[in-house]
Amino acid sequence: MNDTFHRDIVVIGGGIIGSSIAYYCSKSGLDITVLEKKELASGTSSKCDGNILAVDKDPGFDSQMALKSQQLVHELNNELEIPFEYRNPGSVLVCENDTEMEAAQKWVQQQQDAGLDFRMLDREDLRNESAYFADDLLGGLECRTDSIVNPYMLTYSMIHRAKQFGAKIHTNTEVKNLYKNQVNQFVIETNDGIFTANKVVNACGVWAPFIGEMLDIDISIKPRKGQIIVASRQQPVGLRNVMEFGYLISKFGGERQVDPLTDKYGVALVFEPTESQNFLIGSSRQFNGYDTKVDHEVMKYIAKRAVRFYPKIADMTVIRTYAGLRPWTADHLPIISHVEKVPGFYIAAGHEGDGISLAAITGKVIEEMINEKDTSIPIELLRYDRFHVNAKP
Amino acid sequence: MKEDEMIICRCEEVSYEELETAAAKYKCSARELKLRTRAGMGYCGGRSCRTMVDKIAAASANDQNRTCVSLKYQPPIRPISFENLGRGR
Ligand code: FES
Repeated sequence: MNDTFHRDIVVIGGGIIGSSIAYYCSKSGLDITVLEKKELASGTSSKCDGNILAVDKDPGFDSQMALKSQQLVHELNNELEIPFEYRNPGSVLVCENDTEMEAAQKWVQQQQDAGLDFRMLDREDLRNESAYFADDLLGGLECRTDSIVNPYMLTYSMIHRAKQFGAKIHTNTEVKNLYKNQVNQFVIETNDGIFTANKVVNACGVWAPFIGEMLDIDISIKPRKGQIIVASRQQPVGLRNVMEFGYLISKFGGERQVDPLTDKYGVALVFEPTESQNFLIGSSRQFNGYDTKVDHEVMKYIAKRAVRFYPKIADMTVIRTYAGLRPWTADHLPIISHVEKVPGFYIAAGHEGDGISLAAITGKVIEEMINEKDTSIPIELLRYDRFHVNAKP
Repeated sequence: MKEDEMIICRCEEVSYEELETAAAKYKCSARELKLRTRAGMGYCGGRSCRTMVDKIAAASANDQNRTCVSLKYQPPIRPISFENLGRGR
């Protein structure tokens, strides 16, 4: 074999998580190499919305982690050279019945107690928010720190800076095999040569379990399919990200008062204004293996749901639809963890729909772990083996 | 009008020059060129500009990108209103 390269740290996966790791690690002076099987941001990171949200995070640890990430993205906006359409308008959750209003009240209270900038909104506030909202919506809540980015541009931008810090990026380089040799180095066989490395970070999102398997490490992540509509607007529909309160229920698996198919497909309204003349409408959640074909039936329910909240967009035009796979974990928290059984092997994956929101903090924490610093957030809850506690002898 | 100023993607108003500059700078695939410049992401879904964007990317791609990934259409075939999509038309 003539094509063998030795590197200090290899990051597998060139999505937004791998790119953030590459950025923060190379910035700290580490020698970073990214291996991406296809192209940068070609999987989940370009088939998603660009919301950096605390509004939909479990109050406490989860929402504080999101807040930290928001602060980092705010800094990135000044640090990175290529703009990534950063906007910081806050976000809104709308309620369609009294039960949701009561739950929203509680949510706001808990988030405020956790130190976040949340507030209730009434009917009047909603009317000011968008002229397109349905008249019967009762109110909702807002989180004022929430922001929006263009996810693939943020990925490109972090990689661009990482390269300036010396990171090496190999696209179209798929990892075929991964093991440790006698001198305790990782050997990474790819379609484009063999790499050896002292440390490996698995940032493969929904594909992370396959890399884990190569080292006999079970990674409890499942692909959850989500579909999105890109629409063209004649008039601005709204300036901030909007979701229905039912999105939280759909995310955390509670009971909703919707028709059976909307419930089955996990359809809940997400509205995101983009910087171009478009807006995005989501969302759906389905376990359907690794299939990314757009399901027209599900799209129908997403469109219906959008019109329920914005009746006056009925004649606006859908120009594109797509489906992405969200790396789901059972407790809706990502895995950001060192694997002691295989020293030098790290996992940063399993962010489900929060990969864009939590990319910055994930990259930062991996950098801190590798450099053996105190981490910006506590990481015990993010361990890779937390799902197997009961299975252990 | 100079050739450089020629608009390749009318929906998103992306000029030949912009595409050339981005293609030369990033030596990327057609897909990445599209995402970086927005060419092909407009109302018509790239039906008018796609072949040109593909060609510009192919012309400047370096060895690293020898696997040429061309743009693909995302459904719907033609723009459709929310109302009609919701009714399953
Ligand atoms: S001309 Fe480029 S998208 Fe329509």
